[in-house]
Amino acid sequence: MPKKPPVGDDPVLNRSLGRILLIASLLMIASLLWALYDETYGLRPWKDYQKRFVSLYSRHLRRIQPAQSRAEQAVRQSAEYRKLSEAVTKAEDSIAPRISDLDRETNQVVSRRLSVITEPFAITRSEIAALIYQIETSTSQSVKDALQRQIDAIKAREVTLRLASANGSGEVVEQEERFDFDQLEAEFNRLQARRAELGAQRAELVKPYNELRGERDTLLGDRLTGLTASQVRGLRARMRNFELGIRQIHVAEVDLVDRCESCHLGIREPVVLTRADMRGEEVFVSHPNPALLDLHDPERFGCSTCHNGNGRATTSVRKGHGRHKYWLWPLFYRENFEAGCHQCHAQDLVLDHAEVLNRGKEIYYVEGCVGCHRFDGFDTESEALTEVQSSIHTLVEDRKEMGKEIEQSVLAGDNAQDNAEVQRYYARADELKQQISNLDHEMERLEVRSADLQIEQKRIGPSLKEVRFKMRKEWIPVWLENPHAYRPSTKMPAFRLDEGQRRAIAAFVWQTGDEGELPGQPRGNAVRGKELFETRGCMGCHAVGEGDAAQGSSFAANLSRVGEKVHYDYLVPWIHNPQERQPLSVMPSLRLSLAETRDIASYLMTLKQADASYPEADYLDDPALGSEGSMWVKHFGCAGCHEIAGFEEEGRIGTELTREGSKPIERLDFALLTHEAKHDGWYNHKGFFERKLKDPAIFDQGKIKTPLEKLRMPNFKLADEDITALTTFLLGSVDSTLPEHFFYVPGDRGQDIREGWWLVKRYNCMGCHQVRPGQQSDMSGMARYQDPDLKEQLPPTLVGEGARVDPDWLARFLRNPAMDAERTERNGVRGYLHARMPTFRFSDSQIQKIVRFFEALAAQDRPYIPTRLEPLSNRELELARQLFTSKAAPCLRCHATGNPAHDRNATAPNFLLAKERLKPGWTERWMVAPEMIAPGTAMPSGLFQREGERWVFAGSLPPAFRDYAKDHAELLVRYMFQLTAQEQRRLMSRMPAAATSVASR
Amino acid sequence: MMRLKNYLCLPVGLLAALFAGACGSVDIDDEDLDEVDGTDAPAVVTRVDPATAATVNGKVYFEGDLPRARRLAMDAEPACAGLHTKPVYSEVVVPNDNNTLRHVFVYVKEGLEGMMFETPTEPAILDQKGCIYLPHMLGVQINQPVRILNSDPTTHNVHPTPRNNREWNESMAPNVPPKMKQFPREEVMIPVKCNVHPWMKSYIGVLPHPFFSVTGADGSFEITGLPPGEYTIGIWHEFLKEGVTTQKVTVAASESKSVDFTLKQAS
Repeated sequence: MPKKPPVGDDPVLNRSLGRILLIASLLMIASLLWALYDETYGLRPWKDYQKRFVSLYSRHLRRIQPAQSRAEQAVRQSAEYRKLSEAVTKAEDSIAPRISDLDRETNQVVSRRLSVITEPFAITRSEIAALIYQIETSTSQSVKDALQRQIDAIKAREVTLRLASANGSGEVVEQEERFDFDQLEAEFNRLQARRAELGAQRAELVKPYNELRGERDTLLGDRLTGLTASQVRGLRARMRNFELGIRQIHVAEVDLVDRCESCHLGIREPVVLTRADMRGEEVFVSHPNPALLDLHDPERFGCSTCHNGNGRATTSVRKGHGRHKYWLWPLFYRENFEAGCHQCHAQDLVLDHAEVLNRGKEIYYVEGCVGCHRFDGFDTESEALTEVQSSIHTLVEDRKEMGKEIEQSVLAGDNAQDNAEVQRYYARADELKQQISNLDHEMERLEVRSADLQIEQKRIGPSLKEVRFKMRKEWIPVWLENPHAYRPSTKMPAFRLDEGQRRAIAAFVWQTGDEGELPGQPRGNAVRGKELFETRGCMGCHAVGEGDAAQGSSFAANLSRVGEKVHYDYLVPWIHNPQERQPLSVMPSLRLSLAETRDIASYLMTLKQADASYPEADYLDDPALGSEGSMWVKHFGCAGCHEIAGFEEEGRIGTELTREGSKPIERLDFALLTHEAKHDGWYNHKGFFERKLKDPAIFDQGKIKTPLEKLRMPNFKLADEDITALTTFLLGSVDSTLPEHFFYVPGDRGQDIREGWWLVKRYNCMGCHQVRPGQQSDMSGMARYQDPDLKEQLPPTLVGEGARVDPDWLARFLRNPAMDAERTERNGVRGYLHARMPTFRFSDSQIQKIVRFFEALAAQDRPYIPTRLEPLSNRELELARQLFTSKAAPCLRCHATGNPAHDRNATAPNFLLAKERLKPGWTERWMVAPEMIAPGTAMPSGLFQREGERWVFAGSLPPAFRDYAKDHAELLVRYMFQLTAQEQRRLMSRMPAAATSVASR
Repeated sequence: MMRLKNYLCLPVGLLAALFAGACGSVDIDDEDLDEVDGTDAPAVVTRVDPATAATVNGKVYFEGDLPRARRLAMDAEPACAGLHTKPVYSEVVVPNDNNTLRHVFVYVKEGLEGMMFETPTEPAILDQKGCIYLPHMLGVQINQPVRILNSDPTTHNVHPTPRNNREWNESMAPNVPPKMKQFPREEVMIPVKCNVHPWMKSYIGVLPHPFFSVTGADGSFEITGLPPGEYTIGIWHEFLKEGVTTQKVTVAASESKSVDFTLKQAS
């Protein structure tokens, strides 16, 4: 018997676990509650967003509804809408009786009869069909006959049906009618045909009415900005029935899941939602550029393809945006979001909707980054040249081989056994001869291309072979010390040079410069030179004055202090023909006379700071210093931008940046700043790029390095927005993981546009011209051209240039804008402009690209086959002459005629050029509405008015026009396109006498 | 046992409550939202009581040498030259005998902020007569109709080159119906020119109020109907833009105050 423990000691009896259990169960409940809460809310923060969105959006819709109703009401009450609306009602009323007749016959007679007839007819028909089948399959003639008799009996059987029909007074009555099978079939077919006929009649009748209704509804849609009241109501209803849930885009082919719209619910709403509309909640605003979504359907592209971020993450904003150390592609910050465009548009220098990225690429291209850092697609000429030359080499080898084989074949043929074999050897030799000639054709093409590429090669900076001719010796070390002090906007960056390095480089540059004597130039008139400088077009690329006072373009050097630096005797030949002195420069010739050039050079020599002083620099002639300098010139990669004797073949010294944006972060050397970067949250690509661009030496901080180990990148003193632009470009420069077909592959036109931009930017066409809608030329921003009279002195807009001019003409014009081999000191088209279209040293393929660029921008087909115009009848010729010279038509007052006295006041091109230069369709569009093509043009609108299907001159017409029924604008175009010099003289002789005397303002 | 049951009820109930809240649609009582005012307050037009209206008048003098008015060479255009028997002079600088200037635009530049004035329905007239714009200097109110006429037997084009309004350039043959135009934005001044006859110039001042004037043959101007208050009077002249000044003036009810300006040729 076990010993009974004392009652007081029994833990079961006197120890209570209740408290522990209570605590444990409370803990369990608490953790359960927490788990449930976290499961429903904590892990699903988007639910809260969705609720807030629904409430805010509903509120907004409710708020805009009255205004939209009012706006809709206003449209409904507008005269035009009411007119249409009345027309709709009238049309409805006018067809109503006929419609009701048709409908009555259809519904009450035809359909009712059909519904009764169909069944007995169908049953009988199938009975007969069954018997026919038996006849076909039976083998005995007697059976067949018996069956046939059965069929005949069925056919003769009569049925009595109670059918509706219209009596003479139009009422529908039901009466009994008897039919045998044939009658039944005939009636059935008749009824069906009748029903179809009635339907067609009805459709024909309501067609005009439906068209009017469509017109009315379209008018409402067109006039009303935003949604109609009923559409708003629809959206509100949708919000009332909103289901909480993940909103995701799934692009299966790239296994992309983007749940961004689970919170960003306003992105694709049909109502534009601003921050203010959503009570400051930015998360709910509409996509700021819906045009981009039209181009890139989110259902196909997703969100994170362009924006980065972690599209699957839904548990927190930070994770969703990919701002997590383990996520490689954090969401682009607002200022850099255009980076996302680059991966698919890498070859586009200019992209719509991507101004920041465009700016970044432009800086990279024209400010000199590409001098040190290779980037796919940028400055490809030297690589292409190497390729072409190696192809030529291969061809030469192939040609030699083939030559040998010919000799062998001929020899073998000569010694062959039989004639058949002889023929085979000789035929082979002939085949090879022809193949060689084919190689020669290709060789020629490659040689042309090679010559072209040599023309196309350009450098960012000036040639240093010219320094001894060009500039004062003392200026060089001062410049090297701090280029921005001399010229704040210069492209030349500040290198980290110590005194010794600076002296050595200066000495080397000086000593390698070509030597020789330039002829002395007589001085010109600086006052006249200033006027010429400001009007001839120099300021389309160059500026004078710094900061806010700067006038002109920042594309090329700012010349505010150029007089301190250069020799006059160099400046004159340089300005006169830049390509002769420095073929690697992009500077064109303005076809100035020598006198004009001297005036301009004399003016430029006056541009200097009064107190500028430059210490003597005799050490530049020290040969020892020079040879030390050679090393530093190589080390710092000067030849990336400058032509330097002995450094022609020097490669780029920087790292390639084509895929810099996807370089693993560990390979970006934050050096001693790594810890700080991680701590302060800029340990990422953006942080690295921005800081490096701001201060390229920053990652040397605290490091002990020899001069050769120090980071070499110089400081470009970039403005903050330029740093943002470049950072955007670099962030986008990634090794894309998207499949090929996601990338933008333009058609022929798109390709022409893409290639053209590289030239338009390199040669700064936009310094003087407007190339695309909305863009302003650098020149048009100058104070001088704000005067309404001088505004007309601006170079012409090139928007629509491809539709305006004949491409062959444009090619000739680009080669020689004077359009004359002898008289080059003029503009070939617009003699009245002070600004000159310069002569660029373009290669043939560049000209082709530019011409194609403009043709493509204007959506022209290629090749261009000139439109054939109907020749003028004698009567039309006379009519056109009369109109041209009538008092009411002011054409010849402004357009040049070739008469020097008249042309002194001309402000528009000579009509004689039209035939060669213009396209007739454009010319007509221009004549009737020039403000559509060039807003602000001196050419007035309203010269013609619309009369039915034709344009009629808007002024008193010569009497002979009374019975001329054709288009007047077209008549003038046809006249213009057959104008000869002789005809023009004849016209001028008809003009009122005073046309030859000269008017002045 | 009862106690346990009670414990269980709590989480189960909570669970049910949680899921009820978590699933299904959101309740939006659309009608329950704050009443939002959808209508804009109608603009209040300021009316000036004629009994208390004040007047500012004065003259615009010039100092120094003015360029001589240039003769307009209309010879190139017989249709224009034929309209005149006497030589025609440029209207850019027209000095009067009493050392005052004609064609100076004088207007209230500041002091009327917050007030709205009725837009006149009566059109202002700009005529082209004798190949000259009449008037040379025209003041209109925002959106006031401007009727443009061509009284000449030749074709003109009317080409305003504004900064704040929209530019247009329209041909006007003889005997065509007048053009009706308006300018929706304030601007002092909009140059108007004819590209066919480059000497033709007119200037249109567009203001949000009717308080402007142009100096006449005695160099005087008068701005009437002003509500009492403190104003900055501005002037504009096509040639002496640089010397343009403003003056402050305070007028009491029914008061008439004189303000003279002196323009100098900028050196």
